[in-house]
Amino acid sequence: MNCRKAIAVLVAVTLAAAGCSGNDSGSGGDPKSFEFWSFSGINQKAGVDEYQKLHPELKIKLTEVGSSVETAQALTTALAGGKVPDLVLIQGDDLPKFVEQPQNFVDLRSLGADDAKLDYLDWVWSQSVAKDGQVLGIPTDVGGLAIAYRKDLFAAAKLPTDRDAVGKLWPTWDKFIEVGKQYKAATGKAFVDNAATSVFYQAVNQGEMKFYDADRTLAYDRSPQVKLAFDFGLAAAQAGITAKLSSFSEGWSAGTAKGDFAVLAAPSWMLGGIRSNAPATKGKWDVATIPGGAGNWGGSYLAIPKNAKNPKAAWEYIKEMQSPKSQLAHYVDAGSLPSTPSVYKDPKLTSHQDPFFSNAPTGKIYTDSLLGLKPFYIGPDSSVIGQEFQNAITNVEQGKGDPAKAWDTALQNIKTAIGK
Amino acid sequence: MRDSIGERFAPYAYIAPFFLIFGVFGLFPLLFTFYVALFDWNPVAEHTFIGLDNFSRLFDDPRFWNAMRNTVSIWVLSTVPQLLIALGLAQLLNHARLRFATLFRMSMLVPYITSVAATTVVFAQLFDRDYGMLNWVLQQVGLGPVDFVQSTWGSHVMIAAMVIWRWTGYTTLLYLASLQAISRDIYEAASVDGAGNWKQFRYITIPSLRPVIVFTIVTSTIGGLQIFTEPLLVSRSAPLTCGPVRQCQTLTLFLFEQGFGQFKFGYGAAIGVALFVLVVAFALLNYLLSTRIRREKP
Repeated sequence: MNCRKAIAVLVAVTLAAAGCSGNDSGSGGDPKSFEFWSFSGINQKAGVDEYQKLHPELKIKLTEVGSSVETAQALTTALAGGKVPDLVLIQGDDLPKFVEQPQNFVDLRSLGADDAKLDYLDWVWSQSVAKDGQVLGIPTDVGGLAIAYRKDLFAAAKLPTDRDAVGKLWPTWDKFIEVGKQYKAATGKAFVDNAATSVFYQAVNQGEMKFYDADRTLAYDRSPQVKLAFDFGLAAAQAGITAKLSSFSEGWSAGTAKGDFAVLAAPSWMLGGIRSNAPATKGKWDVATIPGGAGNWGGSYLAIPKNAKNPKAAWEYIKEMQSPKSQLAHYVDAGSLPSTPSVYKDPKLTSHQDPFFSNAPTGKIYTDSLLGLKPFYIGPDSSVIGQEFQNAITNVEQGKGDPAKAWDTALQNIKTAIGK
Repeated sequence: MRDSIGERFAPYAYIAPFFLIFGVFGLFPLLFTFYVALFDWNPVAEHTFIGLDNFSRLFDDPRFWNAMRNTVSIWVLSTVPQLLIALGLAQLLNHARLRFATLFRMSMLVPYITSVAATTVVFAQLFDRDYGMLNWVLQQVGLGPVDFVQSTWGSHVMIAAMVIWRWTGYTTLLYLASLQAISRDIYEAASVDGAGNWKQFRYITIPSLRPVIVFTIVTSTIGGLQIFTEPLLVSRSAPLTCGPVRQCQTLTLFLFEQGFGQFKFGYGAAIGVALFVLVVAFALLNYLLSTRIRREKP
């Protein structure tokens, strides 16, 4: 009988285990609870706690999955596997892959997104709209764009140090490269951190057409803005004004602190990075407008997966926490730039100054940089295409690539990468 | 009768957990990878059957051959010095008059138990272009700074150095164990016959170590073909390609880039299958070599 008893026990245990998991998945339908996946390191908990305080009856389960890329990977796995959160934060660069497959997400128009549409910057909004018009995500913040520069190093090179005068030095990227050459001639040191990120990647976002045309077909090889930006990048790489330090590398962090370069392209969230990479340089930095006038780098969206158990509660959270008023409050607390232009004239935002950057009115500088931008379509292959263009420029910058062949090499690599 | 049934089945029950776990986490994913490789598999959309298209694309893909070259290059650069250094160290540690022998032997394993991520961060700083210690030393002797991460050879050397640092101690202990199994009498007899240190090493030590040398070559080959974490963490600005021109992107990193960076699961799976075939081929080659060596043994 031993054997039979053992089997009976085994069966009982299995049933109990199955029972447990059955109960587990059943509890999600509770309309008073929702599950929220976000990135780590951006203190999402503060917002959730605030919302929780206003709505004590709700049960919010916040999971900080990891970096923005890891969160998108986890979401992909979850969408493929079926067990999804009710609300998820997606970084702008990861968004197009999901926009391409809108059937995985709730159409936010069905929950009332149309009413909210006018609150947000049109080009930010358009990036989360699928081909059939479905709205996938609500923009939570944007990056804006400016140039952070070292006043002391500019003074040493006999360049103006006042932020308005500095901004006037470089209305265009051509002028920017000229200033770089002057700086290099005066000091013998590198002017800008690198050509790929600080020049090409910024300039390419300043046109009406990026890697796709308005019909959402690939246009990276015929878009005038892309070629223009690529040539700016190449020119900067060949002018010898770059420190050849790739953004976010070890050497780049160290170089920021040691003054190995005098300027870098800095969206609003980069200021925090400079602060932590180079704490000893407090007060030596300032922020000026970017060549070309406008730009954006970064920003995220909140989306609701199709199989969410409680999309209503998730939507209520979005509606309340991403309203212009809440975004402004969040800017004052945490510094993430609102995606809602109606608050850009609010004194709370315009009067905001950053002591680390010589009291620069960062709220005003960054929101101004957002107003001149035009909507363009960002597609599923946009990030790969952008990466290959940057790689080609970096290769020239390192002295290995032939600048005359760089464009063709980049196009060839893109064809290989996207298989089209 | 009942007891004999229990006795007959009990051993299977004891070993069942391994086979169940292997089946779920080993065999099934392996077979499923073969299956996925036949599809254009978008994890969040359709899966289209495309037969062997992924493979024909793979063989025409310069990135695949680049990753193959990088993998083999890093493997050679890391395995050959590693095995030689380990052999030398094992000789030293086996010395009869060595003081604090246990301490030295224990310390061999310290790199092995250090996390790969921490190792990579430290090595990245050592090899840094502007502020790295290695470049400081190079400049003291009049050599210009070398941008290790950005150059092909430099990045391979850097990754190989990490692998050597991590695995040499482990290999040393394997060699040491089999060195200690060699009877002292053979050495004594040899020195009576007039064989010097080198001759003893060449004609006694090496032949006795043959099986373990073959073993370490096999394991380091399999490990070397799968090298992933080091190249992933070397280039912070372009982690998935290990730099702008894929100068140190290995096969596993290429697989990861395609599968999880770009969500091309089918293509990623095809790379995995190619890697599988490569490892099996190497293992077979090693097997043939080692059986030959065994037969040659006196």
